[in-house]
Amino acid sequence: MLRVQNIAVVFLLLSGSLWAQSSAPSDAETIALLAQQVKALQKETMELRGRVKTLEEGGVKVQTAPPEAAIAAPAPQPPPPVPDAAATEASPGPTPEVHDLHRIQWRGFGEADYKVLDQRQPELATYGFVPGSQGNFYTADFGLFVTSRLTAKASVLSEIVFEEADAQKYQVDLRRVLLKYDYNDYLKLSFGRYQTNIGYYNWAFRSAAWLQTTADRPLVMEFASNGGLLPTQAIGVSVTGGIPSGTLGLNYVAEYGSSDTVRPDISGDGFVTDENNGNQTNVGFFARPDWLRGLQFGSSYYHDQISNNILNGATGEPVPLLPRSLGPAVRYNQTIVNAYAVYVAHGIEFLNEAFLIRQALVRGSLHFDTPAFYSQFSKQLGPVRPFFRYQYLNANSSIDSIFNDVGLRFGPSFGARYDLDDYIAFKAQMDHTVRRGEPDLNGLQLQVAFTF
Amino acid sequence: MSRKLIAVLLLGCVTALIPRSAAQATDIAVVVNSDSRLTNVSLVDLRKIFAGEKRTWPGGIPVKLIIRAPGCRERFVLLKLLGMSESEYKQYWLAQTFRGEAESEPFTAPSFGMTLEAIKIFAGAITLIDARELKPGIKVIKLDGHMPGDPGYALH
Repeated sequence: MLRVQNIAVVFLLLSGSLWAQSSAPSDAETIALLAQQVKALQKETMELRGRVKTLEEGGVKVQTAPPEAAIAAPAPQPPPPVPDAAATEASPGPTPEVHDLHRIQWRGFGEADYKVLDQRQPELATYGFVPGSQGNFYTADFGLFVTSRLTAKASVLSEIVFEEADAQKYQVDLRRVLLKYDYNDYLKLSFGRYQTNIGYYNWAFRSAAWLQTTADRPLVMEFASNGGLLPTQAIGVSVTGGIPSGTLGLNYVAEYGSSDTVRPDISGDGFVTDENNGNQTNVGFFARPDWLRGLQFGSSYYHDQISNNILNGATGEPVPLLPRSLGPAVRYNQTIVNAYAVYVAHGIEFLNEAFLIRQALVRGSLHFDTPAFYSQFSKQLGPVRPFFRYQYLNANSSIDSIFNDVGLRFGPSFGARYDLDDYIAFKAQMDHTVRRGEPDLNGLQLQVAFTF
Repeated sequence: MSRKLIAVLLLGCVTALIPRSAAQATDIAVVVNSDSRLTNVSLVDLRKIFAGEKRTWPGGIPVKLIIRAPGCRERFVLLKLLGMSESEYKQYWLAQTFRGEAESEPFTAPSFGMTLEAIKIFAGAITLIDARELKPGIKVIKLDGHMPGDPGYALH
């Protein structure tokens, strides 16, 4: 009997300890929370001490209330100010308070790359990559992203990019500067320089390599200033918002603005095409259905008028016309139709976009169609995200085709992204590109992308 | 003797399990500013609100998200609602910021007291609070027609 009682006592103690273990996460949460609060308070105290010191050094006498006064202060207090969103987070890594300066929020992103190609005939170099080299390091885009809330509904957004050019020179590009006014969820207005919402990629990844899974952008989605085919920038007005549509989650986007695309030939001939775009119109719709979280599909239609004005990239002088070439005097109606379906959820990223770019001679039957698509799949496996991408682009090689330097290109890319932490990612990518009339191109790109 | 032993063992097991299951069943309340006219929200809309996809209330007041700090139970439930890990949550808001869809990551309140203060001050504020910590004067809204503690309440 005594033995049974002993066993019972031991077991009850054991069960008690088990219960204690089951409640342990709650204690750990409490301790973590308290530790965060202490950390936040310590930081705040240090900041206040620093401010007091600064004021005292500046000759301002800082008065501290005597303890008696504090005790005998019955006057009603105003509600305690709520620290700004950015001033309280105590998570590790760059905390928001360092990103808030007089109500101006700022962020930055950058990258360092190493790339090697087996090209025998040098092609266009962008982002600081030197054409024809066995391989070299470059820093591509370094961006500063600044936002500020003006009123409850109005805010300013700007994106300043320092882009590496030839011979390690840097050029500044104000990629975006927008005055935004969100009237409600159905009407959001933006005025200024924006990135055109043609397709998904431009909207999702903007200029930050850190946001991308892959080390580079699909060629069709590359910025026009780096040889991409789409007019990626414009100045004007952009309107977006939701459309009451139940579980379909329909949204619209409408843009009207001026763009002036100057696109370098990617064949490496040293020429640039100044398209002298007229005003552009872009309308699109996309849906985020409630019944499959992570799915987004949509379509857009873009129109403007462009010229095939070929200039010497170094001097800016017009290049002499080739015989039977129509030259820069004629205008083309450019229409770009896009459709996409993406799924981003549960660690899966599955992007699919297709384009048809048509450039048709104004008052003529001549037209050039450039179909393009890319498909990209990746899956998060712990800190590693392996990816595979296949892209295809087929431009007409006629002398009057604006994309005759591009021709036919297709091929796979694969690699992996490894997130060292929440702010630094390492990527390795292999590319194989088949080109019409040229040897296949193989490449390796290593990249460290970061945000701060 | 063996029956007594089994009885004692069972008693021990029951003693160990009862508090645990009670803790797991604790609901997380959806709390809004007391001046808000909102009385009910669907789970789908709640996810959209906390994902920053729905940014204004019907009256036009901007939504102000008040998020508890990492390590809190409310944060854990929020991440479950969004289907994200802590790391994915941070990356998501950074991406939203770069896209221009958000000004910054939502306001993270490091303490319960600060959460309550923020809810009082911001007209469009919404947060998640452990139902055990609710106090008089806090406006709790229904989730798909259910209050915390009701059968069928979805957030816990």
